[in-house]
Amino acid sequence: MQRRTRWFTAGALAIAGALALTACGSGFSGNSSGGSTSNGLTKSSKPLTVLIGSSGDAETKAVDSAVADWSSSSGTKATVTVASNLAQQLSQGFSSGKPADVFYLSTDQLAGFASNGSLLAYGDKLANKSDFYPSLVQSFTYNGKFYCAPKDFSTLGLIINTDMWKAAGLTDADIPTTWAQLETVAKKLTTPKHVGLAIGGEYARIGAFMTQAGGNLMNATSTKATADTPENVAGLTEVKKLLNAGTLKYAKDVGAGWGGEAFGKGLAAMTIEGNWITGAMSTDFPSVKYQIAELPAGPAGKGTLQFTNCWGIAADSPNQTAALKLVEKLTSASDQLAFSKAFGPMPSIKSAAAEWKTANPMLVPFLNGADYAKGVPTAKGSADVVTDFNSKLESLATSDPKTILAAEQTNLEALVK
Amino acid sequence: MSTETGLEPRYTRTRHRTARGIAARSLLYAVLIAIAVVYIFPFLIDLATSFKSEADAAGDPLSLIPQTWTTAAYQRLFLSSDFPVWFKNSVIVTLLVTAGRVFLDSLAGYALARLQFRGRNTLFALLVGVMAVPGVVLLIPKFLVINQLGIYDSYAGMIVPLLTDAAGIFIMKNFFESIPASVEEQARIDGAGPFRVFWSVVLPMARPAVITIVILSFQGSWNELAHFIVSSQSPGLTTLTKGVAQLASGQLSQGTQYPLKLAAAAIMTIPVAIVFFVFQKRILNASDGAVKE
Amino acid sequence: MTTYSRQPRRGGLRRGEAASGWLFTAPMIILLGLFLVIPVLMALWVSFSDWGGRGSPFSGSVNFVGFKNYSTLLSGGGLAEQDFGTALKNNAWYVVLVVPLQTALALFLAVMVNRQILRGRGFFRTAFYFPSVTSSVAITVLWLFLFNSTGAVNKALSYLGVVGPNWFNDPAGIFHFGATSGPAFLEKSTALGVPLWDWIGGPSVAMFALILLAVFTTSGTFMLLFVAALQNLGGDIQEAAMMDGATGWQRFWRVTLPQLRPTLFTVLTLGLIGCWQVFDQIYTGTQGGPAKTTMTPAYLSYTSSFVNQSWGQGAAIAFILFVIIVFFTLFQRWVLRERAVSKRRMRQYTVATTAATSTPVAPAMAAGAAADTGEENER
Repeated sequence: MQRRTRWFTAGALAIAGALALTACGSGFSGNSSGGSTSNGLTKSSKPLTVLIGSSGDAETKAVDSAVADWSSSSGTKATVTVASNLAQQLSQGFSSGKPADVFYLSTDQLAGFASNGSLLAYGDKLANKSDFYPSLVQSFTYNGKFYCAPKDFSTLGLIINTDMWKAAGLTDADIPTTWAQLETVAKKLTTPKHVGLAIGGEYARIGAFMTQAGGNLMNATSTKATADTPENVAGLTEVKKLLNAGTLKYAKDVGAGWGGEAFGKGLAAMTIEGNWITGAMSTDFPSVKYQIAELPAGPAGKGTLQFTNCWGIAADSPNQTAALKLVEKLTSASDQLAFSKAFGPMPSIKSAAAEWKTANPMLVPFLNGADYAKGVPTAKGSADVVTDFNSKLESLATSDPKTILAAEQTNLEALVK
Repeated sequence: MSTETGLEPRYTRTRHRTARGIAARSLLYAVLIAIAVVYIFPFLIDLATSFKSEADAAGDPLSLIPQTWTTAAYQRLFLSSDFPVWFKNSVIVTLLVTAGRVFLDSLAGYALARLQFRGRNTLFALLVGVMAVPGVVLLIPKFLVINQLGIYDSYAGMIVPLLTDAAGIFIMKNFFESIPASVEEQARIDGAGPFRVFWSVVLPMARPAVITIVILSFQGSWNELAHFIVSSQSPGLTTLTKGVAQLASGQLSQGTQYPLKLAAAAIMTIPVAIVFFVFQKRILNASDGAVKE
Repeated sequence: MTTYSRQPRRGGLRRGEAASGWLFTAPMIILLGLFLVIPVLMALWVSFSDWGGRGSPFSGSVNFVGFKNYSTLLSGGGLAEQDFGTALKNNAWYVVLVVPLQTALALFLAVMVNRQILRGRGFFRTAFYFPSVTSSVAITVLWLFLFNSTGAVNKALSYLGVVGPNWFNDPAGIFHFGATSGPAFLEKSTALGVPLWDWIGGPSVAMFALILLAVFTTSGTFMLLFVAALQNLGGDIQEAAMMDGATGWQRFWRVTLPQLRPTLFTVLTLGLIGCWQVFDQIYTGTQGGPAKTTMTPAYLSYTSSFVNQSWGQGAAIAFILFVIIVFFTLFQRWVLRERAVSKRRMRQYTVATTAATSTPVAPAMAAGAAADTGEENER
């Protein structure tokens, strides 16, 4: 009996302790700290932290120097941090009330963070708001609010190793424009030493085939699940066909981390990647000669996927005014062109397009892709579904496309209900 | 049963002189050496590969001699990455956690073994109960509390929670119970307070147990990963385990970069290996001394 | 252990002991309270709430949702249930294979290195124990290299004429033996959103590589436990058995093994508890892939909370995992209870080893003893 009371006492003490903790609550700041200015943004003299997910040294250096430039001209200190796991670090930062002020934010994370109030919806305050491509603005609009400035964008293209291309007796006229032609060249380019085509075994690459067949996982506004359509089945079936023919392999299966590595190391003669591959090629594999082509068309014509990130600003940032200024600078034509030069993405503003095309004649196929590119799903929770889809795509060679897509249809429908 | 009787004579003789005995012993050595090779070889490969070029590492993963020796991986780690920072953080955290645990464990262990106070048994029962809580379950809860206390993303948040060490207290308590009480009585009669008795009489006698705690804490905090993931976010507070884990999962860099990763793995193994070899006798032959026959 | 408090108070010399007793244990009480008791209570609340990961979980905008997080995981029918089922399936197979393998190997090694006739015992013990002291991160990095598609393991296999799998990228269940689809009734019926066909498929090839890793790193620790136990066995029963004419094999099964039973149970319990908590290897090595076949509840709990903002679900997974672990620990203790004799022997032996003090063996011993004393205190 006595023992029992003691246990109760101990429990009560612990609960009291928990309550005391809540009362002090120093770690969680519900409201953003720092004084507010007339336009509703916080303002203080605190230095800014910028959190990025970098594709490599090229990107890190470019962002570093752009932020340093701004820092010296504005007088506000700012440091760039490369996230090792962006999603986790953002999430941990928001939960702890100590987020980075400015950060990369992907389309699939927007809904989750916007809905729990972690993000500052500053889009309408941007001085250069009207210069962004409308489709990109759409990608970063949640519940009717334009949240953050598109940082840049990329599309997928076909990257071809020109030496291997020539060695297989192929010429420029052979660059595939249809699935049938892709099958033919992939077969010709497959040798015991390398495979014809190596891609990452994930939706972000294979999805391009789905768009070429006229499908995609969700509709343009991510309000309706469209996974189990015959178009999507056709897209996956084509990839499965190439896999089973041995002319297409996933990068992992040739011992590479991603398509670009397989391509750079000469394990594959072609790959499907976005603009970012140019940065990696010049840093890691400068001796490999390559050219870029638009992806071949499928039964529904040309198709590719479009990827974009934005510069998010935290609702808890104590210095949103400066953060906004920094973002305006980072999305200016001159900065975006510099980024493009360093690691290949395309400027998110219309005013930089012409100059970009002249500066990057080799990359024009990527920008051409923008005309018909489709976005990835942005509904809240869609990232999970895509992860699940990716895990099933790993065994695409031996499974039924229809079954895979039916399962994802169910999962996606659960999100938009 | 018939086999039993059939084999009986062999065992009543001194068996290792027979031919079969020799064969059996050779087999024993052969098996053990084969297993030892399996256990050691991976570490040798680790070391060798860290001095290889990337192409060499991929081309001939089994060879222990690099075709061309290169320290490129180590140069990259130490000269152009955050590796030195990670190393420094691991050292700081490990030393402080080890020192803190030795002090707190022995203090509490002594009280539980020797001092009489109401509630001691309840405390001990609680301690035992707490030991049963699996660490992984605490991952999210710890983050919540560290956050609430305002020590998230600081050395304090990384170190203080790791000081909780119920098993260590248990070990110290057991040890103190094995020391004859008469030792303290004399000091008490001389008028020493409980802390004096503990600090200058009993603790010096507890050297073997303290060394055990040192070994366990050092190894435990040096190799800890999950806690550092949830208690910090700044790159300046990254420890070796967290840094190398992220390096390995490919988030910091592109490509496989095996020599680089294996060099990092090799370096992070060195300190625990040193502790291991220094205390090797104690670790491996611990029980030899305890055999009372 | 209870005897001390029953002693009559002696006054005089013992005055002030209560104060110092509490003072000495205060740091421990505060630390354990702050970082063990309160966290668990907070997480328990989170697992019953809809906290989204921002602001305080105790603020007014956070609602009590009852068992919603738990039911989503256990019978929600969605992706969450499927993922949880997959994680449980993966980890269950991991436990089923790792625990017996590591125990058998550890026992085998212990018996071998404990032979008096063996020279170089120190060398062998060092070799077998060394993997246990290195960090799981370092070993996982090494494993990724050894088991990559063109890595050392496959190269070694190729000398034997075997074409090795692409270990960490092969999601095929090892008990499916290459079959890509099963009978319809197994494909159609599901448990926790996972088809029975997948449940019976065993660990994936990738998970199997991690199973080998676990056996590699833990067999040394447990070997030391067995060695310690073997050295504490009296030689007389052995000799008597030898006189009776038992062969070495028979003596091992009939004499040695029954005497090792307490240690065996300790090893099995520790193995079970440890194996349900796989996290480091997944975080470092596979992140749950390929095809989620190395996803474990511990890692899923982490990603649900920290990556996907489903803090309630993440906490709920942690508590379900807690229940699973407690269940197995109790189960082990129930088995222990059957053998009253062994228990007593185990206690003596625990005291002997800890007194001689030692080693990483110590926490294991302590844990074993903890199960023991805990029981005592309950009575």
